[in-house]
Amino acid sequence: MKSYYKILLIIVLLNVTSCTVLKEYEKVYINDELIALGPKSLERFEMNFQIYREAAAGGNGGKTGGGCGCN
Amino acid sequence: MIMKKNSLILLFSLVSTILLGQQKDSDTTYEKKVLDQVEIEFLSSYYEQDGKHGAVGGGLGSEKIQDVTPTLVVNIPIGNNGVLTVDSGISAYTSASSSNINPFYSANSSGEYDEDDDKYEDDDDKSSKGNVPNTYSGASTSGNLSGGPIGTPWYASSGASRKDVLTYVSINYSESSEDRNRIVSTNLYASNEYDYNSLGLGAGIVGLFNQKNTEFGVKAKAFFDQWKPIYPTELHEYGKYGSNFLNSGYFNNVNVLDQRGNNTSTYYPSKFKEWTSSNRNSYTASLDFSQILSKRAQILFNLDFVYQHGMLSTPYHRIYFNDVPKHYIGLSEFIPVYETNQNAGVFRLADDIERLPSSRIKIPFGTRLNIYASDVLAVRTFYRYYYDNWGVTSHTASVELPFRISDSFVFTPSARFYSQLQADYFKPYGMHSSKDTFYTSDYDLSGFTSTQFGFGVSYKDIFTQFKVLGFGLKNADFRFQHYYRSDGLNAIIYGLSLKFIQN
Repeated sequence: MKSYYKILLIIVLLNVTSCTVLKEYEKVYINDELIALGPKSLERFEMNFQIYREAAAGGNGGKTGGGCGCN
Repeated sequence: MIMKKNSLILLFSLVSTILLGQQKDSDTTYEKKVLDQVEIEFLSSYYEQDGKHGAVGGGLGSEKIQDVTPTLVVNIPIGNNGVLTVDSGISAYTSASSSNINPFYSANSSGEYDEDDDKYEDDDDKSSKGNVPNTYSGASTSGNLSGGPIGTPWYASSGASRKDVLTYVSINYSESSEDRNRIVSTNLYASNEYDYNSLGLGAGIVGLFNQKNTEFGVKAKAFFDQWKPIYPTELHEYGKYGSNFLNSGYFNNVNVLDQRGNNTSTYYPSKFKEWTSSNRNSYTASLDFSQILSKRAQILFNLDFVYQHGMLSTPYHRIYFNDVPKHYIGLSEFIPVYETNQNAGVFRLADDIERLPSSRIKIPFGTRLNIYASDVLAVRTFYRYYYDNWGVTSHTASVELPFRISDSFVFTPSARFYSQLQADYFKPYGMHSSKDTFYTSDYDLSGFTSTQFGFGVSYKDIFTQFKVLGFGLKNADFRFQHYYRSDGLNAIIYGLSLKFIQN
């Protein structure tokens, strides 16, 4: 099990270190909201009903508690 | 009372933070601010669903819901480094399923029912006039038609529980370091429904490394919720009057029918007990890691650990056992078609309510990979694996393809796929045994797949030419989504947001 975590850690570190380090002026595309890593504010309503209609919640920056979700 | 107190605390926090922030403003005005102007965003959605597995009917009956959610989000710059966000709104809904907490109505009033003063019981009066289904008019005079109450899980009742309003406010304050490599945030949340209150708080820290190409975030949240339990009418009466309940209160002079449609006095839901503790607490720890992969791609990993404790069941979800006799109120001729939507006049009496364990651990792991495929097309992907200790595992995958039509407009088609294994405690309508400890017939906890397709249209005006009261329109977004669940539930949702900035 421990070796599994070591391998995972190595993969993550390799991934991080192998990436190009961009300067601020090179982040024209990265800073574009089209590929922003968070959900759009309007998606909150969809994420809410999905939490109610499905057993899974979380892992997406959305709500993980509060409210009964009982309807 | 608790809500009023919480509201006062939140209001005081808001006002004092704004005042402190304004003092800071006057001292330092030369550094680049995290947020330059006040932003106001109006959001709203309309949601509608229908299905045939209402949880209030024990996994059977209408699931019709309409929900409208006007929302206001205000972002206020505090000094150079801080942003205060006040997010408030309501969710006003009508629900056919929860209307059937009391499903019974009658064409002939027979007097008083309940001396309680809660709004659900007021409408439990046998004289309440429901939206009598059209099919009812041709019914025969068997069962309880001669003045007695009737009901059906396939239609909404007129009880007050058919609608409710959730009101909430969330206040978040975030502060960035001077070099913008650290962001700390705190959050307060409060919400109120007729039978449910929630109070939440949270804090988080984000660190940016590697010339802001790498980001780590840690967050913790806690919600302290409180039920005001409401039980199905027949169980409420049993809880209130005990062994003589069939001759008391609501049941006084009401005929209870057996499976053959004959009058009986054998209905006795002995497994039902009212909840003695109605708290529900949720604690969440979140880890975020994101990395810029290239000039056009970035990735995010998110791991949550959620622990919930307390009353995790819903107190008005009925349960019907397969090893006890069936009992009904209403018109006996509809008993043979009880499980179909031809049933316009009989309702089966519950054997118990949903019982679920008092703790639950949820571990979702999500990842997003977003790529700028060309100058006009981006690809946004999301995958999540979810595990919990109730036996549910699920997979979620979604993709969005934002396509830039012009400098101002973006069109975004999207698709989402979801599958889950059922919870250990789920069985369909009438399949649970009275010997079980835990049981639910809520299809949200069943095994199913679902698909969601839709699109969004975004408008952006960097010059904010359209102005209202000194604020210019920065963004307008519209989204439409259609959701289909393999158990037959269908839903649609429309959303609209307008974001203004102070000029």
